[in-house]
Amino acid sequence: MTGRERSSERWDEAEFRGVFLQHYSRIVAILIRLLGDRSRAEEMANDAFWRLYRQPALQVDGNIGGWLYRTATNLGIDALRASGRRRQYEEAAGGSRDEGKINSPLEDLLREEKCHRVRAVLSSIKPVQAQLLILRSSGLSYKELADALNVKMNSIGTMLNRAEEEFRNRYLATHPNEEEL
Amino acid sequence: MTCIHDGNLRLYLDGGLAGAELAEVTEHLASCADCLARLEKVRAARAQTEAVLATLAPAADDVAINPTMAYAQFTSQFAADREPKTWINRLLPPRWRPVWGLAAVALIVAVLVSVNPVGVWAQRVLAMLRVQKIRVVTIDPTTLMSSSEPNSRPYRLFNQFVADNVVVTMDPGKPEVVSSLTTAAQLAGYPVRMIGSLGAPHSIDVNGETAFQMTINRDRATTLLDEIGRSDIHIPESADGALIAVHIPKTVISMYGDCPIRQRHVSHNSQSQAEVLAERKMERMANIKDTNCTYLIQAPSPTVSVPPDLNMSDIAEAALELAGMTPAEARSLCQTVDWSSTLVVPIPRNSSSSETVTVDGVEGTLITETLSQGNRYSLLWIKNGVIHSLAGHGNSSDALNLAASLR
Repeated sequence: MTGRERSSERWDEAEFRGVFLQHYSRIVAILIRLLGDRSRAEEMANDAFWRLYRQPALQVDGNIGGWLYRTATNLGIDALRASGRRRQYEEAAGGSRDEGKINSPLEDLLREEKCHRVRAVLSSIKPVQAQLLILRSSGLSYKELADALNVKMNSIGTMLNRAEEEFRNRYLATHPNEEEL
Repeated sequence: MTCIHDGNLRLYLDGGLAGAELAEVTEHLASCADCLARLEKVRAARAQTEAVLATLAPAADDVAINPTMAYAQFTSQFAADREPKTWINRLLPPRWRPVWGLAAVALIVAVLVSVNPVGVWAQRVLAMLRVQKIRVVTIDPTTLMSSSEPNSRPYRLFNQFVADNVVVTMDPGKPEVVSSLTTAAQLAGYPVRMIGSLGAPHSIDVNGETAFQMTINRDRATTLLDEIGRSDIHIPESADGALIAVHIPKTVISMYGDCPIRQRHVSHNSQSQAEVLAERKMERMANIKDTNCTYLIQAPSPTVSVPPDLNMSDIAEAALELAGMTPAEARSLCQTVDWSSTLVVPIPRNSSSSETVTVDGVEGTLITETLSQGNRYSLLWIKNGVIHSLAGHGNSSDALNLAASLR
C-alpha cells in the first residue's frame, strides 16, 4: 500500500496532465536524438503517453518517469532498427535517401551523415545498451537511469562502461577511418 | 584495500559516489598508480563516446517544445471518443452555432461585446459591456478557423486554449427541460415568449446562469496563432494580463416541431465506440432532416467586464482576422463599430446574406443561409435588453411571418 487513496481503474485527469507536462519535453528531446525527426519524435512520444494512459495502475507505482523513458526509448529503438533494415533494402536496391537534403550546406550534410552512422551503430548493439547510452547522453542522472532500466544504481557504472565499449568497437569497426575515435 | 573496478571508477567520475565510499576511492587513487591510470582510460573512453553521441543533440535553433500545446494535441488526438469538457461545448450547444456564427470565435465575440460604462463603480474598476446592437460581418469561409470542422486540429487547439485559460466561476449545469411557458418563465425569471402561429412549443430548455473569466496571456495566444499558422495576426501588447469576466444570464430555448433530440451527456464508459459513432451519425442526420424544426432563443445580454484601459478595437481586429477577414477589412470595420454595445456576428461570405428588417417593433437582422437542402434563416433582434433569435428552415418571409405572431 502506498497509503495514497487513488484508483487504479482510471487516470485522474489532472494527475495525468501533470505527468505529461513534466516529462513530455524531455521524452521528445530523447526521441529526436534517436530518430532525427521532430514530428516522428512527437508522434512516438504521444504513443508512449497513450500507453501510459491505458495503464492507470502505474499511477500508484511511483516510477512513472522510469516507465515512460523505458517505453519511449524502446519504441524509438524499435523504429530505428526497422528503418535501418529498410535503408539496407533501399541501398541494396539502388535507391537513394534524403534527396531533399542535397541542397544543405556541406557542414550540415556531413553532420547528417555522421548522425546516420551513430544511429546505425545504436541500432546494431543490444537494445538495452542503446537505451542506456541515449538516455545518458540526454542528461539523465544515475537515479533516473536506474529507474528507467530497473537496475540498481551502483551497477550503472559498469553497464555504461560496457555499453560504451560495445558502441566504440562497432563504430570503429564500421568506420575505421574516423579520426575522432 | 583492493583495487577499484572500472564500474566504480566510472561512478566516481560521474559523481555517483558519496560518503565513506567516495572517501575510500579518493584515498586509494592517491596511492595506486594502476587505478589512477585506469581512471584516466575510463575518462578518455567516456569523453570519446560522449562526443560521438553528442552529434545527435538537436540543433540549438530548433523550435522549443511546448508541452502545454502538445497536451492539447494529445487529448484531441487520443481522447476524441470522450466528451470534450470545454466550456464552449456547454455554452454553445450545436443549435446555437448558426445563431452566434462560429463557435470558435464565440469567446472573442463575447469579449467584443462592447464597452458601455454602467454606474460609477464600474468606471472606477472595470468597464462593463452589454449588447445593445447586433452587427453582421461577412467573412471568408475558406480561412483556416472558419472552415474548420469541429474535430479539426485548429478548432481543437483553439478549444483547448480556451479551456486552459478560462475559469468557470458559475457552472450552468445541465439545462432544465420543461414543457410549459409558465414554468420556463419561473425558472428564467423573465417572461418567455411564444410563436403564436406554431402553437405551444414542443419542448423548452432553460440553461443555467454561467460566468467565466479569462486572463489574456499574450505569449500563449501568440503561440496558438503560430500553431494554427496565423502568426501574421498581432495581439496588442497592452492586452497581456487583462482580466476579462463574462456573465451570461439564464437563457431559454423554445423548440417547435420535430427538433433533433438533444445530445445526452451520458457516461461514455458504458458505451462502445461503435455506439458513440452511431449516435453521432444519427445526430448529424437529424440535423440535416430537421427542416420542420424552429427555435426561439431568448438570452438577456451577457455582461462582459474588462479593464477600462483595454483597447477593445485592437483585440477585435485580431479576432476578426482570425475569423476570416482581411486585415484591411478588419481595420475599417473596427473603426466604425462601437465596441461598447455591439455584438458582432460573423457569417460566411459565399453562402449567407443578411438584411436589416423591422421585427417586434425594433430593428432586427435577418441572416439567410443557402444550403443544399434549402434555406435556413436566423433572425436576430434585441428587445428590452434581451437578445432574441428565431432560427429555422425557410426563406425570409417565413421568418418574418413567424416573428409577427410572437406573443
